[in-house]
Amino acid sequence: MKILIVEDEESLQKSIHQYLIAEGNVCDCSSTYNDAYQKIALYDYDCVLLDLTLPDGEGLNLLKFIKKMNKPDGVLIISARDAVDQRIEGLSLGADDYLVKPFHLSELYARITSIIRRRQFNGSDRIVFNELEIDSHAMEVKVNSHTVYFTRKEFDLLLYFMTNKSKVISKSAAAVHIWGNDADMADSFDFIYTHIKNIRKKLTDAGCKDYFHSIYGVGYKFVES
Amino acid sequence: MRLFSRYNRVLFLVSCVGLIIIGLLFYRTLSYYLAQQMDDQLEEELMEVKQYTAGKNNLYQPNSFEELIIQYKKTAENNSKIIADTVFYNDEKHRMESARYLQSTITLKGEQYKVTIIASKVENEEQIKSILKVIILPVLALLVILLLVNRFMIRSLWNPFKQLLINIKAFNVNQDVPFKPVKTSIKEFSDLNNAFVDLSSKVKSDYKEIKLFTENASHEMMTPLAVINSKLDTMLQSNLLGREESELLTDMYKATSRLTKLNQSLLMLVKIDNNLLNDQEDILISKAIEEKLLHFQELILKRKLTIHLHLEPTTLFISQQLLEILLNNLFSNAIRHNIEKGTINISLTATQLIFSNTSTNDGLDEAKIFERFYKDTTSEGTGLGLSILKQICNRLQYDLKYTYDKPLHHFIIQFNK
Repeated sequence: MKILIVEDEESLQKSIHQYLIAEGNVCDCSSTYNDAYQKIALYDYDCVLLDLTLPDGEGLNLLKFIKKMNKPDGVLIISARDAVDQRIEGLSLGADDYLVKPFHLSELYARITSIIRRRQFNGSDRIVFNELEIDSHAMEVKVNSHTVYFTRKEFDLLLYFMTNKSKVISKSAAAVHIWGNDADMADSFDFIYTHIKNIRKKLTDAGCKDYFHSIYGVGYKFVES
Repeated sequence: MRLFSRYNRVLFLVSCVGLIIIGLLFYRTLSYYLAQQMDDQLEEELMEVKQYTAGKNNLYQPNSFEELIIQYKKTAENNSKIIADTVFYNDEKHRMESARYLQSTITLKGEQYKVTIIASKVENEEQIKSILKVIILPVLALLVILLLVNRFMIRSLWNPFKQLLINIKAFNVNQDVPFKPVKTSIKEFSDLNNAFVDLSSKVKSDYKEIKLFTENASHEMMTPLAVINSKLDTMLQSNLLGREESELLTDMYKATSRLTKLNQSLLMLVKIDNNLLNDQEDILISKAIEEKLLHFQELILKRKLTIHLHLEPTTLFISQQLLEILLNNLFSNAIRHNIEKGTINISLTATQLIFSNTSTNDGLDEAKIFERFYKDTTSEGTGLGLSILKQICNRLQYDLKYTYDKPLHHFIIQFNK
């Protein structure tokens, strides 16, 4: 996938860049409005990560520009501002999603792949990993073509891990993914453990190999051992 | 004590004392003057007696209409003249009367007589009394009228002040309604009014500034937080991660997420203040509660909490977002501070919503519980959840109350104030 990162905070830009290329994506970075403007005009991207406050311009104008040029690029707004009207404005201008800072890189990546999936497959999509197959649209999990019943949250979590496969996902990131802003509850970290345990059990019971690996209590990794 | 009663009290006291003093002085002067007149009269009488005695060689006896008593007594000494008060027995009226007498000596046919002329003072006293009455009574009446006029005047004079007070009380720095000035022609009140108009606008602008500062500061902190978070995520991917590093990372994640939550809560408080959340619509509250319950079900199951629901289908005209935050805070509060195998009762009627839960704590301080950063030391929360709740209720003009009824903590929201 080809992704453009428009972010003026260099260190954040670097982290995002690192994370995304490790997933095998091609990434361009822009720190200024003008640079981003040129890149958007010259190339096509699968997804543009757009910071709204840039030193030399308003990020929303870039969004308008993309839409005016009839570009196929998906747009994910990343902003420190969580104002409702701004979110609505961004989405109504044609942004695909809106992510508020601070976020976890795994969350960012899950959102990016979700946008690209929606655009490329028109909403129906299968992710296959060996004997495991999930349909993100129909919310179905199949192991060796047998359907396994998952609750909504379990499904979300599995999809999250499979999207970020072979990455370590912290419990904190997983909790935020499931409960959003309410995730600060003392129990939520422990609860991720229970959730993962359930998912593993359901999968192994259905004859799937255990791809979840615990990393010293800080998080989990979904990877072929 | 009210200003007016105080003023009246002083006025009344001064008037009474003044009246008494003036009355006494008046009485004294009048009596003195009349006594003087009487003395002149007695002197004249004495002269008449002397002339009579000298001319007719006989002792003068007064006519009955003269209302005088003249007594003669032979005496050897030659006394000087005495004028003084006395009492005498009035034969006609059969009673003792106060009087004035003049004593002197006259010579008749070579013999010394002591002559005493007594004149009754009753007439005079009557006269003084009626003069006093004629003067004091109207003065008294005037005083009473003055007091009454004062009372009514002051009552109407203070009206703008009272209105001003009502308006000041109604002024809320949190609300967009500006301070309502009072129109008055009285300079002192209009000065006070102007002073408060200036003050209120200053307070408002300062308050706005502080809110803006909070908002900006919180927003500015989001980017560094995002950097920290992303760096932590990057570190987590390292293959060299050992147990020790992982534990460090876990703590850092926890601290970062707490800081993030704190920042978000601060922003939330400012946003509720700023009335940004204004998208009101009719929402079925009972359904919203059931949905939230589903959202939190894992956390509830994990702590083995028992939920008792009593929900009457109730619709409120409310902002979706505010309701969301409201319910989130109510639920997370009830779950977070609960005990293992505890209870949560949720009761919704057309007029109120009650969340009751068991807790590790005993009753909390009702006055402090909704204050910002009020929490017990073991709580991992931000200490802002309940103040956000309070803020939302204020904004919606709902009444939020906390009561403790062992073993349940009740949070009661009254919809119709």
